[in-house]
Amino acid sequence: MATNGTTHANGNGTVPTQSTFAVKAGLAQMLKGGVIMDVVNAEQARIAEEAGACAVMALERVPADIRKDGGVARMSDPAMIKEIMAAVTIPVMAKARIGHIVECQILEAVGVDYIDESEVLTPADPVNHVDKHAFTAPFVCGCRNLGEALRRISEGAAMIRTKGEAGTGDVIEAVRHMQTVNAEIAKASSASDNELRLMARELECDLDLLRQTAALKRLPVVNFAAGGIATPADAALMMQMGCDGVFVGSGIFKSGDPAKRAKAIVQATTHFRDPKILAEVSMGLGEAIVGINCGEMRDQEKLAKRGW
Amino acid sequence: MTADSQTLTVGVLALQGAFIEHIVLLKRAAEEFPTTSNTTAQRPRFTFIEVRTPADLALCRGLIIPGGESTAISLIAERTGLLEPLRDFVKVQRMPVWGTCAGLILLAESANKSKATGQELIGGLDVRVQRNYFGRQVESFEADLDLSFLENGPPFHSVFIRAPVVEKVLQSTSSLPATGNVVTAPTKRPTDAPVEILGRLVGRAQTIRNKTANAEALGAEGDIIAVRQGNVFGTAFHPELTGDARIHTWWLQQVVQHSRLTQGV
Repeated sequence: MATNGTTHANGNGTVPTQSTFAVKAGLAQMLKGGVIMDVVNAEQARIAEEAGACAVMALERVPADIRKDGGVARMSDPAMIKEIMAAVTIPVMAKARIGHIVECQILEAVGVDYIDESEVLTPADPVNHVDKHAFTAPFVCGCRNLGEALRRISEGAAMIRTKGEAGTGDVIEAVRHMQTVNAEIAKASSASDNELRLMARELECDLDLLRQTAALKRLPVVNFAAGGIATPADAALMMQMGCDGVFVGSGIFKSGDPAKRAKAIVQATTHFRDPKILAEVSMGLGEAIVGINCGEMRDQEKLAKRGW
Repeated sequence: MTADSQTLTVGVLALQGAFIEHIVLLKRAAEEFPTTSNTTAQRPRFTFIEVRTPADLALCRGLIIPGGESTAISLIAERTGLLEPLRDFVKVQRMPVWGTCAGLILLAESANKSKATGQELIGGLDVRVQRNYFGRQVESFEADLDLSFLENGPPFHSVFIRAPVVEKVLQSTSSLPATGNVVTAPTKRPTDAPVEILGRLVGRAQTIRNKTANAEALGAEGDIIAVRQGNVFGTAFHPELTGDARIHTWWLQQVVQHSRLTQGV
């Protein structure tokens, strides 16, 4: 998949090559078919691990609280991230502000397994995203469309997720972003090379990456759904749309019975094509996140608008 | 999906992880499958399926357990009612099974550094593995391996992602006390097949390890990263991420052999 073109002279007796793109994208491939859960402390991290999460996202406040509290949202306290890393054996991700190179350097020094350069936090750079090639830690970034996804990949992102609309419990934006990416990939796949050049200009993305995407008929890296997933049915819906796995943020620990809901979403992500299992795991989950209807939000309230 | 007797159905456990990558390489391996002119045996036909339920597993004559998160795979298997059928497949029916990375952990009789409340294993390999032996993701790496069972050709380029190693070959499956954060798999029908070491990462990885060496298997010989015991094969690395189908071809040959011996297919 994303391993094309990385060759490494590494005969006997030499030191193995680390932090290559294949190694960065490789971890994302291992997360596929899984659920990555937002957690704010070690206790929640353990609940997520017991539920079968394939990774956790360590952050001080889930997006629903970031929305409610307002103000500037920043990288979490490294001490709290370390505590979560010590509590579980699954990979631990953490968020940095868009364009905040130093927050990324700190997260890398802490030893997190993936850095999410995230629109959920308040952006730190009005024009640029982080040059992610410069880091040994791999990055995941959000997108609303193919152009945004390929710009992030050309900056070095080894994993992509839809932005959706975090902290709302409303899946409509994640669906919209996934649909847009899928439609643009379908268009690229049937385009001539001349049309691809034009498309690359329109989408403001790298032509070679667009060609690669057109040939693969999918993004050249793993693509998860995120932003508004609240139920097992939401998770399965995103999987049926062709994403590789799901992030669930506020949807779990803002619900009535987090452990039970977390397990149900994990089962639903594996058995996303089996309505009988989906029905079974959807029963008696208690209250879902109350949520905010995205249709009633003002544009400036939308986190997905952040990022360039 | 009823397979006729001429078709070998091989499954890839598809609960979580990089299962599609294995299916892609299995298809390539099937296309490149060597045919020997001096036998009457025809080139076998394969069907490759994603295994998510006991019914899927029942169709299979061989199984790959892919890379992913071993805790997630194990928990999902348990809740899907697949853990016991998997143990039966591996340790009672003794079907050919191959685990990569997380798959190797699940096929080990014993694993350490598991999560706080332990972890269910399938077992089948009388070894103890150490999870995340090389460290976290920033310590993941690529390396070229000399794998003697591939006979000839260039070294096998491989990717190690938060990889485990086999830190100890165990005596037998009979009695393994679970102590501390070491977990063990329940015993089934014992095998007298020996554990064969099929690959080592020679010395090099120690230069990037951030912890002190403690495994007896270390030393000048290097870390054990490929083992086989009878029907069960395990690799600590990810051949499915490299695009090189040689190990898949080799393993499919084992599946065909096993099938001919047991069924005359």
